[in-house]
Amino acid sequence: MNLRKQLLSVSLLTLIIPWAGTQFIRETEIALRSGQEQFLDSTAKAIADALSQFPYQMLSDIDGEPLYTHPLQTPPLIDGYVDDWNISEKAFVTIDSTDGPINYVLGQLRQHYFLYINIPDQSIVYAGSDVADRPFDKVSLTTISNTGVESTIEFIAEGPGQIIARRINGDVYFEETRIDAYWRDSSGGYRIEARIPRSLLEHRVGLSVFNAGDSHRPKSTSANFSGSEPGPIISVSPVLQSVAAGYIQPGWRLIIINNDGWRLAQVGSVGANNLATEAPQSQSGWLPLIYKLVLEDGDEGVLAEPAPQGRETQTYINEALNGKAANRWFRSSQTGRAIVSVAQPVWSGTVQTGAIILQQDTDAILSLTNRALTRLISFTLIATIAVAAVLLGYASWLSTRIRLLSEATEHALDDKQLLATLPSEGASDEVGDLSRSFSSVLERLGIYNDYLRSLASKLSHELRTPLTIVKSSLENLEHESLSTAAREYTIRATEGTQRLQKILNGMSEASRTEELMDSAEIEEIPLGEMLGNAIQAYADIWRDRYFVFKQLPEEVFVFGSPELIIQMLDKLVDNAVEFSQPADTITVSVEILLDTVAISVSNPGPSLPQNMRKELFDSMVSVRTGDSNKHLGLGLYIARVVAEGYGGSITANNTEDGVRFTVTFPTKNSAGKATSAHHST
Amino acid sequence: MSKHIAIIEDERALRENYGAAFRREGYAVELYEARKPAMDAFEVRLPDLVIIDINLQDEVEGGFELCRELRSRSSNLPIIFLTARDSEFDAVSGLRLGADDYLTKDISLPHLMARVAALFRRLNAMQNPQNEDNRLARGELDLDIDRMTVRWKELPVALTLTEFWMVHSLARYPGHVKNRQQLMDAARAVLDDNTITSHIKRIRRKFLSIDPNFKSIETVYGMGYRWLVS
Repeated sequence: MNLRKQLLSVSLLTLIIPWAGTQFIRETEIALRSGQEQFLDSTAKAIADALSQFPYQMLSDIDGEPLYTHPLQTPPLIDGYVDDWNISEKAFVTIDSTDGPINYVLGQLRQHYFLYINIPDQSIVYAGSDVADRPFDKVSLTTISNTGVESTIEFIAEGPGQIIARRINGDVYFEETRIDAYWRDSSGGYRIEARIPRSLLEHRVGLSVFNAGDSHRPKSTSANFSGSEPGPIISVSPVLQSVAAGYIQPGWRLIIINNDGWRLAQVGSVGANNLATEAPQSQSGWLPLIYKLVLEDGDEGVLAEPAPQGRETQTYINEALNGKAANRWFRSSQTGRAIVSVAQPVWSGTVQTGAIILQQDTDAILSLTNRALTRLISFTLIATIAVAAVLLGYASWLSTRIRLLSEATEHALDDKQLLATLPSEGASDEVGDLSRSFSSVLERLGIYNDYLRSLASKLSHELRTPLTIVKSSLENLEHESLSTAAREYTIRATEGTQRLQKILNGMSEASRTEELMDSAEIEEIPLGEMLGNAIQAYADIWRDRYFVFKQLPEEVFVFGSPELIIQMLDKLVDNAVEFSQPADTITVSVEILLDTVAISVSNPGPSLPQNMRKELFDSMVSVRTGDSNKHLGLGLYIARVVAEGYGGSITANNTEDGVRFTVTFPTKNSAGKATSAHHST
Repeated sequence: MSKHIAIIEDERALRENYGAAFRREGYAVELYEARKPAMDAFEVRLPDLVIIDINLQDEVEGGFELCRELRSRSSNLPIIFLTARDSEFDAVSGLRLGADDYLTKDISLPHLMARVAALFRRLNAMQNPQNEDNRLARGELDLDIDRMTVRWKELPVALTLTEFWMVHSLARYPGHVKNRQQLMDAARAVLDDNTITSHIKRIRRKFLSIDPNFKSIETVYGMGYRWLVS
């Protein structure tokens, strides 16, 4: 993990601020909500007490499946279409029949009930002229008044269109013209829409559909009730509705239900303008997500709506119907708006007549949390981004400085420019300290390197005088009369001093070459010709090696001292011979790369250790085992001195079967700017 | 009468060794360990040949100083520098002060004897009538082997003993390539490649100062040098 990533992760800590903020908002919201709940509770209790005066409006003491009539806002046109009812599809009640599900809905407006029924039927059987004989499809409404009088309204058709309902009262059978009805065939069945005066349907009402069937299917009857007697007809009570309207306040909804859960009154609305149009209003995708993460969960907001089929069945309401006050709250996942809902039982004396549900839209809480939350999130997001950006920038700056320093240090080590100034040296912080420490280390290393470089020449200098003493003593000794044995020793000692002398010469050669680099006269050298001659000479000297010279088609000219370049080549060839076997081929090649020329000497033989490739060219470094007598590690150093002295470089690489040394020089054109030939033979 | 040789060398063992060697050859030898006692002795009497080390005890360049003083007193006294200092710069300085030869201590005693003998022979030849036989003429070049003097286009070229021997070796068989080893042998010295190179350079420069068109010493890359007769 680099510095930048480290600081970036530290900057993530600033996310604690929005977290703490949301925690605070959540606490506030909970407090506000519970206050509202208490207030609504007590209000609902007061309303419930008031409603105890209306036991008859509320109480429903009839068993059986009830028919619920929905209050309608406008009178629908009786045309067989349900579109103008303005009623949710969920309000439809389904009865199973042999040909499929039958859907119906009942409505009520002022003095009329309205019926809409959609019946699937494979084969519609219309009533013929001879009504009594054959069975035909019909829809019946059976009603029993509280005095026990039973009557039936039948909808039959001789064909689609406006029809006239018939009424059977005991044995009396007549056309009831007060009923408007319309029969409309549809694909796979028929629909009936009817308007029936309230006085015709009382107390108990049941709906049944008779399917006449055909040759393949038997006739059948489907009804909304089981047993012999139909259930009660329940509709919104105008009395309760007006009572409830007296209590209602803006943003509230009051629902009165009977002890069976059927809705008897409903006034007011909550979040009507919001809940209905939730989806388009939610601004951006992330806000609902944030609400979900940050605010406390509630039940989905749409669940707070009154039950479409007219019967309230939610658990908290059931609790209220069992005589226990209960409450619940809802939240819209999209807008974050909360709805607090309380349910309170209504008693008349000791009999529970029903319950009320009072709901309030928590607009105040919402706007507080909403605005605060949005601002909190925006601000902290901006702050977090800003902090992260600043930290990132700072980390980049810091790591850039450190990287530059490390690169410069590496560079200094590579180039032997050990006294170069490092970046950040003047800085007063820790990086500056580091840079200064590096500088001083490098400086010491430089001094040490200089010492090593001059060690050979110093050593040869110091050893020369004592060696001369030994040598001259031995030479004097030769003139003395010595025993045979003593002469033998003298010869050995002389041999030893000769070897010593060779070594010393090699050591001083390096420093002499350095000296010569400064003073040697520079000429324009035809490289190809010079190398060609030299290689001929090598072939003469080492007759047990093959020499191959890969020359360029055109002559290349370089600036330099021919003797020094030859000396460099001598060392490289010397080295190649030393590490190859008799009959091996030593290849010398010249290549042009842009404005440099590369001279390579390659030989088969043992490869170089990977990590010592650079050290190879240092003074008195020998990385391979060779003839220790000859190999003092100065040859390649001399080659390097020459190569670098002429602005070139020297590298060593392992090849497939051996080693290749390459010297790169600037060609005449590129070197011309720095030097000029003032003498030539 | 035997020749007097003065050796000024601060290293006692070396001094004694050189002394012993010269005495064996029949020279009279005087040994000095520093510039001061040597100069005091030279006030009384100049030797016939002086061998000087550059670094003399406390005086780092005492040899040079001594050479300068001696040269001012006698222009033809043979002076040889024999020193451990092998840098190009020191050699040039020494020769510029008028020394006849600049030798490093690598030189073997027999070689040293040969050089000293050669110098005495030259001195002798200078003082006696010229013997025409011992001359080598190659085109514009005229070598007097006894006096070890060189003339180019009738003008004298001031070469040191080493340089003379190198020119002699090259010019004896014009056109033949002499490699470094051969030149080294001719100069009776143990020299490394660089020293040969700088000797050749110096020889060329000396000829060039007389004749800017001098081109007789040719470099044969990788092999050595040869003398060309134009």
